[in-house]
Amino acid sequence: MLSCNDICLDYVEATRITHALKGVSLDFSPNKLHGIMGPSGSGKSSLLYILCGLKSPTAGNVALDGTSITNMSDAACARLRSQKFGFVFQQPFLLNYLTALENILVGINPDELSASVQKAESLLSYLGLDGMGDKYPSMLSGGERQRVAVARALIGNPDIVFADEPTAALDKDNGYKVMSALADWAVDHTVIVVTHDADMLKGADVIHHLIGGCLVDDQPSNVR
Amino acid sequence: MRHPLSPFTYLTRNPSKVLPMGFVIVLCVFLIAAVASIANSIDLTVRTIYRYTEFFTYVIPQRSTQSVPMDQRTILEMQPEIDRIIEGGVFFVNIKTVVGRLPFVVIGSTPEERDYLLKRIRATLVKGRMPEEGKPEVVVSQPILENRNLKLGDVIAGPLDDGGIAGSPVPVKVVGVLKSDIWVAMSSRTFTDNTFLLTPKCLLFTTKVPSDLDVVNERLMPVGRKGDGFLSPEKVNVLTRANLLAEVRDSLSSMYMIMEVVSATVIFVIALMSGMLSNIYFTQRIPEFGVLAALGISRARLMMKIVWETVILTVIAWAIGSVLSVFLLTYLAANVFKQRGLFLDAMDPWAYQHTLPIPVAITIFAMVTVWVRLKRLDAVSVIERR
Repeated sequence: MLSCNDICLDYVEATRITHALKGVSLDFSPNKLHGIMGPSGSGKSSLLYILCGLKSPTAGNVALDGTSITNMSDAACARLRSQKFGFVFQQPFLLNYLTALENILVGINPDELSASVQKAESLLSYLGLDGMGDKYPSMLSGGERQRVAVARALIGNPDIVFADEPTAALDKDNGYKVMSALADWAVDHTVIVVTHDADMLKGADVIHHLIGGCLVDDQPSNVR
Repeated sequence: MRHPLSPFTYLTRNPSKVLPMGFVIVLCVFLIAAVASIANSIDLTVRTIYRYTEFFTYVIPQRSTQSVPMDQRTILEMQPEIDRIIEGGVFFVNIKTVVGRLPFVVIGSTPEERDYLLKRIRATLVKGRMPEEGKPEVVVSQPILENRNLKLGDVIAGPLDDGGIAGSPVPVKVVGVLKSDIWVAMSSRTFTDNTFLLTPKCLLFTTKVPSDLDVVNERLMPVGRKGDGFLSPEKVNVLTRANLLAEVRDSLSSMYMIMEVVSATVIFVIALMSGMLSNIYFTQRIPEFGVLAALGISRARLMMKIVWETVILTVIAWAIGSVLSVFLLTYLAANVFKQRGLFLDAMDPWAYQHTLPIPVAITIFAMVTVWVRLKRLDAVSVIERR
């Protein structure tokens, strides 16, 4: 289980200090879709990046199955992200010179490549991208690119998927497709989605509200 | 299937980014190989023109005497390796070289001595005839004709010749052409004795085993230690291959040093430029590396990806540059340099050794530049850039 305890994050600009997160503590129980909601500047994306080890908090601790990841070395943290986490960002960030299939396989260990190709094709099929494996990103629509990014996040069978505003750049239909795929994944994995769009979190098991860097309350969702 | 992060994937799918850098490396390799080959060609030219020194050695009297003193000749006769000592009159014809016209010796010998010497260098008459006794005639090897752009029957030396010691008071005609890579020109002994009265008579000697010539030469007058040999430098001078090369290399040492400095500067500048190009390309690829780092690809693996991309690119570009240099230098050697009396070895290993620092320097510069950028890479700032 992923948990964070008393996370604080301060940004220092010249003589001004901005407190982006003010002592946030959360437990992310497994096999659930967790939503983190809040207005712009509430610190939700910063919290997500701290949770996955991409950012270091000013104070506090993040632990995965009881082991702190906050003070891990860069290399150990990279290994953890590669083996246990999957990521979906606001933009798909696909590599233009790789095909959709290759973009999905980009994070795969070279030893596991041949075994992963079939899985990548299955993921493409599952995400409604049949026959698009050999297309380059420039030949795909925005929604298709984001679904390729989702497939890239899921290919390594991660324990936890982190998604930062994964639907922000998409229309409603494509947004729902992406969220539906993440919700399906959350049946037997943990998914943490940051968004400001409440509609997209209709399928969430738990929604955490952040306002001004503080956790307001935890709301279990009754939709799913 | 090749791994998506394989360096070959990037290199083959991004020609617009790869080719300019490759082109710069190819040009750099050609530039360095050409400069080094041309510089080294002077040495090669001297070795080619004066290759007869591999087969016989001249002993020339010092200016105070008209012939080699008897005591010096006796020393020669005492050397067990020496096969034959021939006294000959000489005169000189002009040949074209990279450093301008140079005098080339014409040996005046008896028909029997001439046949002996030509047999030694395995030269055979392919056109015309041998010079007649007492007549102003020469037989020369094919490369000399080509160098002077002459044909059978043309005048090779005469009173109108320019420069130094070359020339003859009477026009000297080419009456025979020898098939041989070794440059040699021969006339009759009676002609040289009767025409060049003030020119000192030289001795030339051969050894029973040709490979012993260097040993005997070194014993008679060691290179760089003239006074330590059996012959007296006050009385005679010895024209050997080793001496000749030592003198040429000594006189060219400053030029070689300048060439080394030019090479090093060019390599440094190209490496610096390539480092800057790498930096520009890396800046263009920051989103790629930021996302890969966020996905969990370690900085070490990203670094290795860039190192391999750079190594593969530079090695391939170096190989293309080397092959291109061989073709271009072969063309230049045949169509430009040879006509000017310059011999160029298009496959000179020394020249290509000078190009080896190019891929090494570029790889090191690119590695350092990119490592500094990777150390500072903040994946979150890349992802959050919307």
